[in-house]
Amino acid sequence: MLEKEILKEFQDIVGVENIDDGEVMTNAYAYNWCIEFVNYMEDKEPIPFSPIPKAVILPSSTEEVQKVVQLCNKYRIKFKAQSTGLGPWNQPSTDNSVILDLRRMNKIVKIDVKNLYAVVEPYVSGAQLQAETMKYGLNIHMPGAGPMASTLASHTSMAGPGFTSPQTGYSARNVLGTEWVLPTGEILRLGSFGLKNEPDWYSGDGPGPSLRGIMRGWVGTKSGLGVFTRVATKLFPYPCGTEYVLKGHSPIYDFKIPDFIRAYVVDCKNFKHLEKSFIRIEEEEIALICSHMSSYAVMAIFSYTLESLMDKIAFGSMKSPLVIVIAARTKREFDYKQKVMDYLMKELNLINIIGTKYEPESLFYAECLRTNLGYHGFIATGGFQSAKGQCDSAALCLRAEMKNKPLKQKYIEKGVIANDFGEGAWMTSYESGHFFHMEAPTFFDQTNVESVKGMGEYMEESNQMDLLKHLGVPFFIEGDHLHNHWGPHLMNYHNWLRKIKKIFDPNGVSDSGFYISGNEGDV
Amino acid sequence: MDEEEYQKMIKRCVRCSVCKWIPQVQIKSQKYASGCPAIDIYNYHPYSGGGKIILALAYEMGRIKPSEELRDIVYKCTVCGNCAVACKYMSTLEPIEIMMKLREKLVDTGCGPMPQQKTYIEAVKKVNNPYNEPHEKRMDWIPDDIHLDPKAKVLYYVGCTSSYRRKEMAIAAARIMNEAGISFNVLQEDEFCCGSPILRTGDSNTFEEILNKNLDIIESKGIETVVFSCAGCYDTFKVDYPLSRKYDFKVKHTVELFDELIESGQLKLTNNVPITVTYHDPCHLGRNAERYEDWDGDVVPLMPLISINIPPKPKRTGSKGIYDAPRNILKKIPGLKFVEMERIQEYAYCCGAGAGVKSAFPEMAIKTAKIRIEEAEDSGADILVSACPFCSTNLQDGIMDKNSKLKYFDISELILMALGLEPEKLKQATAEVA
Ligand SMILES: Cc1cc2nc3c(=O)[nH]c(=O)nc-3n(C[C@H](O)[C@H](O)[C@H](O)COP(=O)(O)OP(=O)(O)OC[C@H]3O[C@@H](n4cnc5c(N)ncnc54)[C@H](O)[C@@H]3O)c2cc1C
Ligand code: SF4
Ligand code: SF4
Repeated sequence: MLEKEILKEFQDIVGVENIDDGEVMTNAYAYNWCIEFVNYMEDKEPIPFSPIPKAVILPSSTEEVQKVVQLCNKYRIKFKAQSTGLGPWNQPSTDNSVILDLRRMNKIVKIDVKNLYAVVEPYVSGAQLQAETMKYGLNIHMPGAGPMASTLASHTSMAGPGFTSPQTGYSARNVLGTEWVLPTGEILRLGSFGLKNEPDWYSGDGPGPSLRGIMRGWVGTKSGLGVFTRVATKLFPYPCGTEYVLKGHSPIYDFKIPDFIRAYVVDCKNFKHLEKSFIRIEEEEIALICSHMSSYAVMAIFSYTLESLMDKIAFGSMKSPLVIVIAARTKREFDYKQKVMDYLMKELNLINIIGTKYEPESLFYAECLRTNLGYHGFIATGGFQSAKGQCDSAALCLRAEMKNKPLKQKYIEKGVIANDFGEGAWMTSYESGHFFHMEAPTFFDQTNVESVKGMGEYMEESNQMDLLKHLGVPFFIEGDHLHNHWGPHLMNYHNWLRKIKKIFDPNGVSDSGFYISGNEGDV
Repeated sequence: MDEEEYQKMIKRCVRCSVCKWIPQVQIKSQKYASGCPAIDIYNYHPYSGGGKIILALAYEMGRIKPSEELRDIVYKCTVCGNCAVACKYMSTLEPIEIMMKLREKLVDTGCGPMPQQKTYIEAVKKVNNPYNEPHEKRMDWIPDDIHLDPKAKVLYYVGCTSSYRRKEMAIAAARIMNEAGISFNVLQEDEFCCGSPILRTGDSNTFEEILNKNLDIIESKGIETVVFSCAGCYDTFKVDYPLSRKYDFKVKHTVELFDELIESGQLKLTNNVPITVTYHDPCHLGRNAERYEDWDGDVVPLMPLISINIPPKPKRTGSKGIYDAPRNILKKIPGLKFVEMERIQEYAYCCGAGAGVKSAFPEMAIKTAKIRIEEAEDSGADILVSACPFCSTNLQDGIMDKNSKLKYFDISELILMALGLEPEKLKQATAEVA
């Protein structure tokens, strides 16, 4: 709870109904899924609750965010921003904190059809924005997390890939003009939006100040460096016709499959051939989706229940699967892409399972277009989280996957994570280029303490392996403890990160539990 | 849901917020993407379906205690079930069952239900209806020219709201059955509240008494089919009663019956009704009207942490609600143009009245109704139609409050118009709406 006078000052900013410091409210905001194994990794009780914030605040504008942040500085209270609040990264690291739930900041400020960008506030979900851009034949990047995640947060604060990354790229690279409330409460406008004369959102770098690298850090500062209140993100051509008709009832809706879309599932048999095939397909720049997954995950993306997953045995025996989806807006474009695929299938000696051994539900295509495939990861045990998180060459990503397999197998044998034969990985290119992302989704049971502990230990060992085997930096290197551990091995980057933090946040109020603190030990 | 399942399930929410929206793949605009009235109005996460699962867990872990703060959040929810449809698109969680159990627990401690709900529960105990109206006036709605058949095997169960507040619906239903030559009767002084408004507050003991009383009476009369024009009564009889006590008679909503009668030619819709209409799916006739199917299978451990149900356990996803019948009817009314809203069928947005909200939180009820009215306006319709007296009341309140040009009719009233009944009879039936 907040002291009465302080509460009153916050209330004066956002209105009485938009701040709540009650026991029930603050406890509810202390919950998040996966925080149980984060707790365990930090030698705390493995429960799904973080420290309880002092209050939850619902600002409605940049000005309100600014005033709230200024007040936090005045009273040295930390703040943690949340957009949709998915995952442990949203949790405060201390009970001397308030949560800024940005739900009321939910406007699509602008869709600039001519210059191909959209400007959004934090609580515009991917599905919402995409529904609106589709009306102009345009598409957005969405993270694999799904269409319910915030477009702003997944671009400014927690960057990563999506299933459509071959076409829609890397979220951090799609950021254009940005409005940013710094930890001190100053408002910074990046890129062309920072121009004095005729500010507009079209560019993230010049003209105007460019601090995109600082704002991103490694894969986002996760509320450790202020609050992003509006952002412009790139738009892309919608990959096929935008007529979108779903009939029937949940969950297996009947989707009117667009004329020019086709899926391929192929087994590359081994890592070497997978790498070659992956790169060849990406080089042709024709894929909307080109993802490597485990055979188990391939079964999962075509299933809506655990039981129906078992019918997909056709995929179960694949060694190195690739899932490819091509889509086009015209017949001519589609014919061309199909021809290229036919050619590649011959060249790479691959056989498409789709149409021969298996025909997916029509809904699968809707889920590809609306980025709803990641959610299938929950059907096995109800919970999953990824180890690793490499952003590098295909070769390094695949090496990380190979090395991870026996490690994962060890924990599978202990019975603490579910059996995907150690193969569970998801890999995609960015921008159809030679820059790839790999992570190792792992299924655990958050209701089972042994599984939670096992997941924590596996994550720790996986991180350690990345360091010792030179597999690149995993994306969950966050918080003081991990940065301090990794920094000395990587040119002491953590010292620089810490300096940035200190300059931007002299009072250390922007909660850095998932970033880095200005003074070691603050978090 | 038994206690063991509850204790396991409350640990499984992944806080993905999917339950705040309609199913993700169905989102067609920013404006109508949301599915949950409670979160739309109160904004804080615990108001959502997933948020209430967190409350259930925090409560079991002793992190929060029964309090007014907790009670307010738990009861500011129409138990409309949209969150469950969205969550169960992929998951096996049961947000609605969890929140109902949490309500039961609050009732057990004396913390729940809300004071206004306690008042209407007392009224039901005293005079058999939540409106505290005299029991002997329950059948006052019946016009003299309605033909009832004491020997009929079809029972029209009118329900409290149609009996006392939305008489036009009861009159219309009775007239249409007369017109089609259906021999039916009503329970007269033996009709009592179905218990729905009590059940939804978590007072399961009182509900149990009511359902037993109602089933005893109906079963003693040799009834074969019970027909309901109230979606709430229908859902309660169809879905909730069998969980406590099975019965042999059939249950039907009037839209199902009328659709059959039109299809078979027993009802002939001949009059032109040149209006543009959109249809609001009542939660109790749509997604929530799906029965629980018995499942007597085994949970078979497949490998560590993964078990499967053999045979697969049926999941209530809202797919078996009554969606086609009302649409079939509307499409067969001559001259009528039917248009859909964006959120329909199993992901229809709630009217805002249910589960004791209208009495305990009238401001929430009216705000929700206004959101739905706006959606109806945006559909291009000039008439909003539904098939539930409770939706009718709240949506009409919303129309008035919003100063909307939209008019509201129950679907049975449109059938009456299409049947071309004498204007005098029609006037009597639509008196309250007009
Ligand atoms: C199951 C799962 C799968 C995922 N898969 C992917 C994936 O494939 N690709 C990918 O890129 N990501 C993935 N993620 C991470 C995901 O992208 C982010 O959690 C999400 O996109 C961010 O949107 P959100 O609305 O959920 O943000 P939130 O969860 O609300 O926030 C994410 C982080 O950003 C901070 N934050 C939020 N809003 C602001 C703001 N306005 N200003 C400053 N800080 C803010 C939060 O404190 C938090 O640390 C996955 C997450 C999960 C749980
Ligand atoms: S109830 Fe279901 S949809 Fe809602 S947050 Fe929890 S898991 Fe997600
Ligand atoms: S039942 Fe309806 S109002 Fe209640 S939480 Fe679920 S969607 Fe929201």
